[in-house]
Parts: sequence; C-alpha cells; structure tokens
Amino acid sequence: MHGEAVVVGVGESTYYKHGGSPDTEFQLACTAIRNAVADAGLELSDVDGLISYMDYRNSPLRLADALGLGDLKWSATPWAGGGNNSSATMHLADAAVSAGHAEVVVCFRALAQGQFQRLGSGAGLMGGTAPEGLAWGLPYGLMTPAQECALQTARWMHDHGVSQEALASVSLACYANAQLNPRAVRHGRPLTREDYHDSRWIVEPFHLFDCCMENDGAAAIVVTTPERAKDLDATAVPILATAQAKGPEIGIYAFQERWFPSMYYEGVAEQIWNRSGHKPADVDVVQMYENFTGPVLMALCEMGYCEPADVEAFVGDGRLEGPDAAVPFNTSGGNIAEAYIHGLEMVVEAVRQVRGDSTCQVKDVELSLAVGGPGYAPGSAVLFGPAL
Amino acid sequence: MPRYLGDDFILPQLTPNNTPWYTSGEITIQFCDDCGHAQHPPDEICYACHGSNLSFRAVDGTGTVESFARVHHPLHPALKEHVPYVIAIISIDGAPGCNAQGNVVNCGANDVAIGQKVRAVFEEAVDPQTETRLLIPQWEPAE
Repeated sequence: MHGEAVVVGVGESTYYKHGGSPDTEFQLACTAIRNAVADAGLELSDVDGLISYMDYRNSPLRLADALGLGDLKWSATPWAGGGNNSSATMHLADAAVSAGHAEVVVCFRALAQGQFQRLGSGAGLMGGTAPEGLAWGLPYGLMTPAQECALQTARWMHDHGVSQEALASVSLACYANAQLNPRAVRHGRPLTREDYHDSRWIVEPFHLFDCCMENDGAAAIVVTTPERAKDLDATAVPILATAQAKGPEIGIYAFQERWFPSMYYEGVAEQIWNRSGHKPADVDVVQMYENFTGPVLMALCEMGYCEPADVEAFVGDGRLEGPDAAVPFNTSGGNIAEAYIHGLEMVVEAVRQVRGDSTCQVKDVELSLAVGGPGYAPGSAVLFGPAL
Repeated sequence: MPRYLGDDFILPQLTPNNTPWYTSGEITIQFCDDCGHAQHPPDEICYACHGSNLSFRAVDGTGTVESFARVHHPLHPALKEHVPYVIAIISIDGAPGCNAQGNVVNCGANDVAIGQKVRAVFEEAVDPQTETRLLIPQWEPAE
C-alpha cells in the first residue's frame, strides 16, 4: 500500500484533430497546466515540480517562466518506452511527493502533431539511410509502431485462436464511450462493427479503426501530499499503487525470442496487485492505453483480467461499453476516440472516475486503474482511489 | 538480387555492430567467446554473462517465420508501388533466441505463414557514404 501522494487537479486543452490547433504545442501545454492547477484550487506559484515524457520538447525552464511557477525543486521524465510514460508520470510524481522532494508536482503531455510530425507519419525517415537503432528495421520497410505491434499481435492471435472480432470490440467500446464525451474528437461519429470491418487495412491485423488517432492537445495532472490536499476544496484521489517494470533480456528491440510475443506487463501486474492487495476483479473501471487494439487485448491478459483463450468472450457482446459495462473500460473514449495525448488523457479519466465527474460515470467507483502503453518496455500502471 | 522494396529504398548506415549483418553475404551473428550466448542485434556487452569478448560468426542461413504482417499503408513514397508487402520476424537456426526483422521475398504476399521454413538470400546495394558493397539479408520460402 502507498497513498502518500494524491491527485487534486486535472485539466486539458481543447482536443483537436491532427494539425487543427490554432495554438502551438507550448501554448497547449500552458493551457492544460493552468486548467489543472485551477481545478485543484491552487496557484501556479504553488507548483514546485514538473514531470513529462521522455522525449518532451517543452522545457521545464521555459514553462516555469512562461507560467510563473514557483521555484522548481523537481523535474523528471521516465526512463524509456513511449506510451507507457502516461502512468509512469504518476510513479515519478508519487516518488517526488511522498519523499518530500516537491510538494505540488504537475505531470503533463502536450502534442501538436501539425507543428511537429511523428513516427506514425514516417516523419524523419525519408532520407536515404537509416541511423544506428533504426538500421535493423527501416531497410525492410519496418518503420512504425503499428507494424511492430502488428507482428506481436499476429503471432499472439495465431497462438491463442483470437479472431478479428476481439480487436473490433476494443475499438467499438472506445467509440461508444466517446459518444458520451463532448471533449472527444470522435464525439458525434459513432462506429458500427460493419464500419470497422469495411475500413482500410493499415497493416494486418490492424484496420484504420484499430489505430489510435493523431491529435493536437495537452493534458495535465496535479499531485500533492494528503496534508496539503486537506486545505483544498478539490477531491483528493490517492495514488494507491504505481509501477514500472522490465523483465530480463527484453533487449532494445521488441522481438527477442524469450518474450515474443509480449506486451511486457507481467511485471507491472505483479507489482500493482502485490502493492495494493487487490486483484483485477476488485477494480471498478479500467483505462487501457490503446496504441492499437491488439496490444490492449494482450496487456489485459498480462494484467490478469483473463486468459488469452477467453479474451474474445471477455471483451465481446458489448461487455466493455458504457457506464454499466461488465468491465467498464476506456470510459472517455481513450486514444482511439477521445484524443491521443499519449495516454495522459486516460490517466485524467481514471482520476475523474474516482471523483465521480466522468462523462461515462461508473457507479460508486473506489478503485480506478490506468494501464500505460503496451509493447515497449518498461510497462507502467497506476491504481487510484478511494477518494479521501 | 534487386531489392524487394526497390533499389532506391532506405539503406542502413553502417556501424561496427551492423556491418557484418549487412556486408558479409552470410547470416552473421554475434556470439560471446566466453559463454557462447548468441545475440541479435549485436551489442558491446554480452547480455548473458555480461563480458565483452564478443565475435561474429556465420550460421547456416536458414530460419523459421515466427510472425509476419502484410503492410498496406505506404509510409514512404517509394513504397506506393510495393504495397502490400510482407514484414516478418525470423528465428535464426544456429543462433538460439535470436529473432531478426526482414521480408519474405520470392513469393506472393499471401504465400507466407507462421512456422514456414525460410532460407537467406541477399539483396545487392552500395553504401552511398563509403561505397562499400552491401549484401542485405532477406528470406525466401525453403520448401
């Protein structure tokens, strides 16, 4: 058990389609941070720590001056991966606040994919030669996370007899829940199973709707001590357990035989359930980072929700859709249908579920889980609640 | 052999770690001289015994398709005329634990399967910086 750090504020910018933001990425970051700090009932000058993702472009030095933050005592980013940085920011914030290195830490992620291209577009890969690190895949046309995750998913589906319908069910749940969320980029754009199957292949087994969107926007989360939270009107949502994990011999490429196919979540599951004393069935609502649908199914199994052979039934028949779902899941629409802020918007949603102010609010939420991006070690997750 | 994705497609920048793979004309794997561990991609330290006595050695050049995927969305202008193309993960015979990225060539995109036996073939190219002759490993059905 932990619970020495609590979330007291969440915020975001407007979420836009790729290239749709009138603001720059830096301005979006400032907007989300201002909104989250205001949501907490704190002043920007109270902030003494900043945490972002490992490849962030928005320097803490620049943000501190632009926003008028307090004297910074803590700045950190997770050690590797990509989308797993989402829940990992909570791990770092918990460490900083619990140990007293900083008292008011803001975790944020900002993306303006119109301003800065990203890997999914092949950006930066158009030159004639592939540098060290990329040289093992690019000459073979193996260029994107979609392709890497497709190779993992294809083998896992083959081994366990999982059909395309299970992948469809993940995407359909995200779309159904996004219809309840006015912030969602895909709000007002419902998806049917037929639409899903009719959409073009990106890389088999991923159709267009198996892939997260690419968006402009920013999200931010304020973490402080339970003592400081007592003075605030905001509901305090405890970080009960959080973890990052990497097993042995994963290597720097995601295809080593010892692990292939894997999403690297077994070690995360072990830590989250051991530290919290809970199990998947105790959790009231789960947000699972969907870079692509297949990795969600794999991570769901590795987190202990079900066995691969049973996953199709576990996610089928609308069992993930809506506030009354058998397994309430990605209740804001997630990366697939709310906005792709590299999953930090899903950690925001996990907090809202404990506070009781989600647009797809599950009844009486005490335990709310956010699982970070699958497929790239180290995995990460955070378990919140019950509200103080 | 001409290149699967076209002769103008992206080439690897040669480094000490990848030069044996891309120039030897054989499937060349890094082995630890102390403990025998095979590792791919190569690195400067052995991941099994953590020593640094490592050397490269050719293996038979056969393997098995561990997974594959047909790519339909062309991410590079040069790929438009090549989709759908097949990317694959190949386990390499004689190099326990080593999985390599590659393409399955000399067959249709619908003629690849998990578990299929493959053998190495080599694409010819020239490194534009050093004018070194490249022999890029690829895989074709063995049966």
